[in-house]
Amino acid sequence: MIEVKHVTKTYGKKHSTFTALDDVSFSIPSGASVAIVGKSGSGKSTLMHAMSGLDRPESGEILIDGTNILKLKNKAVDRFRSEKIGFIFQAFFVQANETCYDNVALPLEIARISGTARKAQIVDALNIVELGDKVKQKARNLSGGQKQRLAIARAIVNKPSIIFADEPTGNLDSTTGEKVEDLLFGLNKQGGSTLIIVTHDNDLASKCDMQIYIKDGKIERIEGEAPQEGPQDSREDSMHLEGIERLGSDQEGGSEPAGDTQLNEERTKEEE
Amino acid sequence: MKTTDIIRRAARSLANAKTRTVLTSLAIGVGAFTITVSLAAGQGAREYAENLINSNVNPQALFIVRDRTITEGGASQAPIRVYDPSTSTTQGIAIKQMTQQDIDTLAARDDLVNVVPTYSPQVQYMTFGGDATKFVADVSTYNATIISGVAAGNLPAQGTDIADNEVVIPESYVQTLIDNKVITSEADLIGKKVVMTAAQSAAATPTADALQAAFANGGEAAVQDLLRPITREFTFTVRAISAKSAEALTSSSSIQIAPNAARAISEFTTKGTEQYQKYIGATAVVKNGIDPQTVKDELAKQEFYAQTAKDLQGVVFTVVNTLQGIVLGFGIIALIASVFGIINTQYISVLERTREIGLMKALGMRGKSVSRLFQFEAAWIGFLGGIIGAAVAIIAGLALNPWITDTLGLSEGTNLLIFQPIPIAIMIIVLIVIAMLAGWFPARKAAKLDPIEALRTE
Repeated sequence: MIEVKHVTKTYGKKHSTFTALDDVSFSIPSGASVAIVGKSGSGKSTLMHAMSGLDRPESGEILIDGTNILKLKNKAVDRFRSEKIGFIFQAFFVQANETCYDNVALPLEIARISGTARKAQIVDALNIVELGDKVKQKARNLSGGQKQRLAIARAIVNKPSIIFADEPTGNLDSTTGEKVEDLLFGLNKQGGSTLIIVTHDNDLASKCDMQIYIKDGKIERIEGEAPQEGPQDSREDSMHLEGIERLGSDQEGGSEPAGDTQLNEERTKEEE
Repeated sequence: MKTTDIIRRAARSLANAKTRTVLTSLAIGVGAFTITVSLAAGQGAREYAENLINSNVNPQALFIVRDRTITEGGASQAPIRVYDPSTSTTQGIAIKQMTQQDIDTLAARDDLVNVVPTYSPQVQYMTFGGDATKFVADVSTYNATIISGVAAGNLPAQGTDIADNEVVIPESYVQTLIDNKVITSEADLIGKKVVMTAAQSAAATPTADALQAAFANGGEAAVQDLLRPITREFTFTVRAISAKSAEALTSSSSIQIAPNAARAISEFTTKGTEQYQKYIGATAVVKNGIDPQTVKDELAKQEFYAQTAKDLQGVVFTVVNTLQGIVLGFGIIALIASVFGIINTQYISVLERTREIGLMKALGMRGKSVSRLFQFEAAWIGFLGGIIGAAVAIIAGLALNPWITDTLGLSEGTNLLIFQPIPIAIMIIVLIVIAMLAGWFPARKAAKLDPIEALRTE
């Protein structure tokens, strides 16, 4: 459960202040997929930074499972990020010179997990993103979509409770983008981690359980308030249907097969 | 993040920038090379000197003087002194000499044996084996505490003098003697008679009356006879020919005679002069089981100043250490230059890797760990530089050692560059520490990086 209460963040000094977040409040149930939607400069990135403990708003509370992370000391915030948060960025930020294995190992190393324990987790994560055959490959040899999948493997390897994805498909073409989306939503539903996507893409946002529209540092509206945690299977099914309905209603016909693919792929994964 | 993981990541990121790493390491490698060579040369020179002294000087030997400036220096610009019959002036330097009484005092001590004053036996000329050709050569006292190699004949064991009527001739004389047809071969010289003619330097000046009488009786020839110094012949037998040796400390280019013979000659030549029974110093041997240093200290209370074999070693070592220090200094200057190289490279590396640092910090890596990552990279550079420098120095040194030995005319098997693992290991550790200190400033910049700024894509 993430609760954001009256968070305000301003930049700049006395005379030229800029309010990036202005009394923002909302709550996200655990396991939900949430889109923070807004234009460039709306404050959506600042919100993500605040929720992930990278930034410290001057007022308000951010309660993650009941703990106010704004009250934590730096060391504790760092540990909170290394244990509970996974990050996915628009520009991937994979280390091109490192192998896939070492890229994925980074969060585990930061969390001080021993080398032997790491191995199984890393291989698992790479298998989930279908990069199991590229363990020893250098990240620079991967395509854009593969890089983002590598980044996803890195984000999920330490089984975080919250995954932040900042424009995860922004640098990808639509086909690869969709594959990455499928992967993210699949993980969200199977792994039970909360997925928070920061985007200005309404199509992507519409695939989430919940949309928080933000404008000029204020919450414009919140759509699709996700239900509290229910039985996994039923929720999953309902959400698939929801997704398809939305795709059908919001998009041009051309997008429909994409929805099918998504469904099919997830089913295959479940069978595995 | 665990230290081992940080070190591994540091090593990998250096491996990914091989050219940069190697070039930066080379800078530190130059310093490491110079330091390794200076360490090796210093060690080699010290071992060589020690070897030289041990094979030439009896560790129990003392050189004793009355004038401490001889062993301690500082003789220049001595103040004018009140006349003292035991002081003589040699080449403008006033030296307080030893008298026979001093020698007797030393000889009376029960911790000293073989007290031999430094006789200065001077002969006018000498002849070999009855040949008429006269030769001029320096004569010195045979030193039983020094053993030199023998080219022909034989020498008594260390500590035993040659007989009073025996001489040892340096090998360098042989060729001249052969050229002058005195001998036919080196071995031919052994057993030959050597006759040395010494002249009394200050025979009593004849009185005017004696001169007049001589002129009246024998004319000018009689006067010349009267003025001619009194000479005496000393006859010896050649016992051995000393070999040229790279290990010989004293240049034995003089004919060596037994102390008693030297005494006889020098007392004859100085008779009637101020120099009679006056000596610059004396050599003595401390009895086995007694520390020469104790004897030295005791002698100092009686105003005898002694130099032990260790002191001599100390003098040689001081010279070696000074030279080593100079080379070491150059190495350190090279290191200082390379420190700025490391700072510069690492600083650029931090700027280049802003994203990577930002990501690591976003993923919860502590600033301290980020800082350590960059410091360990610097440490790796230091380690690499040290290894490169030391390896090149060792390879070059081992390859050049035979050539150096040959060029300097050192004896076979002597290595002037001696590489010891422990000093080299210590040097590499020091280099690592220096590199880490150099990496501190860039590392701090990395640690302070704001992940939000670093990850901003716009």
